[in-house]
Amino acid sequence: MSVQIKLDKRIASVSILKQFENLLEIKVDDKIYQIDLMHNDEGIFSILENGRSYNIELVPQSKPKHYTAYTLYDNYEIEVIDAESRYLRNRSGVTQLLSENTISSPMPGKVIKIPVAVGDEVKKGDTVITISAMKMESEYKSPIDGKIVKIFVAEGSTVEANQKLIEIE
Amino acid sequence: MQKIKKILIANRGEIAIRIMRTCREMGISTVAVFSDADRTSMHVRYANEAYHIGASSSSESYLNSAKIIEVAKMSNADAIHPGYGFLSENADFARKCAENGIKFIGPSPEVINQMGNKIQARLTMIAAGVPVVPGTTESVKTEKDAIETILKIGLPVMVKAAAGGGGKGMRLITTEKEITSLVRSARSEAKSSFGNDSVYIEKYITSPHHIEFQVLGDQHGNVIHLFERECSVQRRHQKMIEETPSPLVTPELRQRMGECAVNATKAVNYEGAGTIEFLVDNDLNFYFLEMNTRLQVEHPITERVTGIDLVKQQILIAEGHVLQITQDKLRQTGHAIECRIYAEDSDNNFMPNPGRIYNITQPLGLGVRTDGYVYEGYEIPIYYDSMISKLIVWAENRNEAIARMKRALYEYKITGVKTSIKFLERIMDTDDFRSGNYDTNFIEKNKVELLAEKKCSTETEDMIIIASYIEYLDQMNISQISKEMYTAQNRWKKYTYQKNFERL
Repeated sequence: MSVQIKLDKRIASVSILKQFENLLEIKVDDKIYQIDLMHNDEGIFSILENGRSYNIELVPQSKPKHYTAYTLYDNYEIEVIDAESRYLRNRSGVTQLLSENTISSPMPGKVIKIPVAVGDEVKKGDTVITISAMKMESEYKSPIDGKIVKIFVAEGSTVEANQKLIEIE
Repeated sequence: MQKIKKILIANRGEIAIRIMRTCREMGISTVAVFSDADRTSMHVRYANEAYHIGASSSSESYLNSAKIIEVAKMSNADAIHPGYGFLSENADFARKCAENGIKFIGPSPEVINQMGNKIQARLTMIAAGVPVVPGTTESVKTEKDAIETILKIGLPVMVKAAAGGGGKGMRLITTEKEITSLVRSARSEAKSSFGNDSVYIEKYITSPHHIEFQVLGDQHGNVIHLFERECSVQRRHQKMIEETPSPLVTPELRQRMGECAVNATKAVNYEGAGTIEFLVDNDLNFYFLEMNTRLQVEHPITERVTGIDLVKQQILIAEGHVLQITQDKLRQTGHAIECRIYAEDSDNNFMPNPGRIYNITQPLGLGVRTDGYVYEGYEIPIYYDSMISKLIVWAENRNEAIARMKRALYEYKITGVKTSIKFLERIMDTDDFRSGNYDTNFIEKNKVELLAEKKCSTETEDMIIIASYIEYLDQMNISQISKEMYTAQNRWKKYTYQKNFERL
């Protein structure tokens, strides 16, 4: 059973070749690394590779096997793809296509205004929902010409990050 | 003279804690107030007493003056410190405090009003001999008058609502053919926002420097200034980085601007800490912009170079003490820079990014101060400002201060939310900032360099992939994540060793 790691858009295969306590020989795609790896229960990693020191922190996301990885300045979205998630991915292939027409919130916030109702025809670029967070309002626009199929939230309600808001068909 | 024994802090976040720190040093008891969303906020945990004042939205809590005064009376607080934002420049609130026998730490309601009305503030400054941006001294009531005045002043001009603020009813006019339409839209926006369509017109200064002077005035007519702060690094009209001394200001200009700031403060019999904001053009002409009748966010850099605790001075002045500091004893020692750490996504148009703090490591070491309020496991609420911390460094000179700021930003680690840390470090690397040659157009001008896609090397990516894989293997093997405190033995070192046993 091989495990793949998805880092933003890149998907890499990874496997451990040898291990002695904190010293690992590990293969990422076709590159082999000898590393010294220490970590704790809270996702803080210290990796030494060829004398270079890497400090990485992993923060688990609400979905299992999903993490946000923080390096010095950057952050990456990580997903571990094993046999189980591959199976789930294949099964949900159909809904994934649909979800491109679903608007979801990139951040937590409060719904200020929904100027559309179920059944309304919208044009690409029409504002369908306004969300406010930290004194700033953001308008979300329809990605397609279509019809409002479902509205998952109400004006005045608070939303989580990545929550589905509106589905357009 | 009335000794203050207990202060209610009508604010939240880092500034509430900043004020309480000084109270603690002065042996003054502190009262915090909090909204639904702030029950777990640090200011509630830090204070001696804390009381709930309403629902999460500011209008139902931190702006609810009646409720705050009720809590102040109930808890027997002698004074209220408003911090910045919320009720800090609300003359009505200051008046209600006085009516209820509570000392409002700040100027009188009359002064707050006088400086809050832009036209009145301009008139006061002209009378005190302080230069103002060329423009009208009265509000312009009709469209015809407005157009005539604009042609007289000369383009470009800024049209602003007389009753306004917050960018509402404000228009920049650069060409003759847009005068009529922009004057109309400014007036209608002023009418709908403030119920008053009068506007005033100012000459627009292209890419000015935003430089402000800190002032202190006591109840006995003594006024001093504590030098300038350069605040030109702004995004969306919000300050990001401040420093003092300003790289632009010469000793001679500092003296002239300082005198104007003192005169302006004396002109209104100002009591407490305040800030006179100036616009400065590249030929070193300076113009009064406005007076902030409160403590500023960026006050710590002034504290670093002068060694004076501004909150302590505010409290002493409120007690009726005579200022013990005289102008000739004041010195700017070394150089201080402040960076504001916002919970926001710099790569995505500075979109706010509230959420839960997973890990936080604040920088320490020589010359570093952080004024913040978030802690591990704390959920930043969606209702308030996105600023989570201020990082202030001090060094002997400007170059050393920039190097120290870079070092401190490198140490600053916040995970769980996106922050402006990376963006701030890139600013430290730009030629314009390093040479001190920048104005309010800085971020726009350096946009390409500041927002460049500079992702990590493939090797770093591979290390992240390895870390994720190890984390995944562990998750498969551990039934429960522990957060227990470890005893003397260092679990970090033995970790992999133990994990291997579990796997057997």
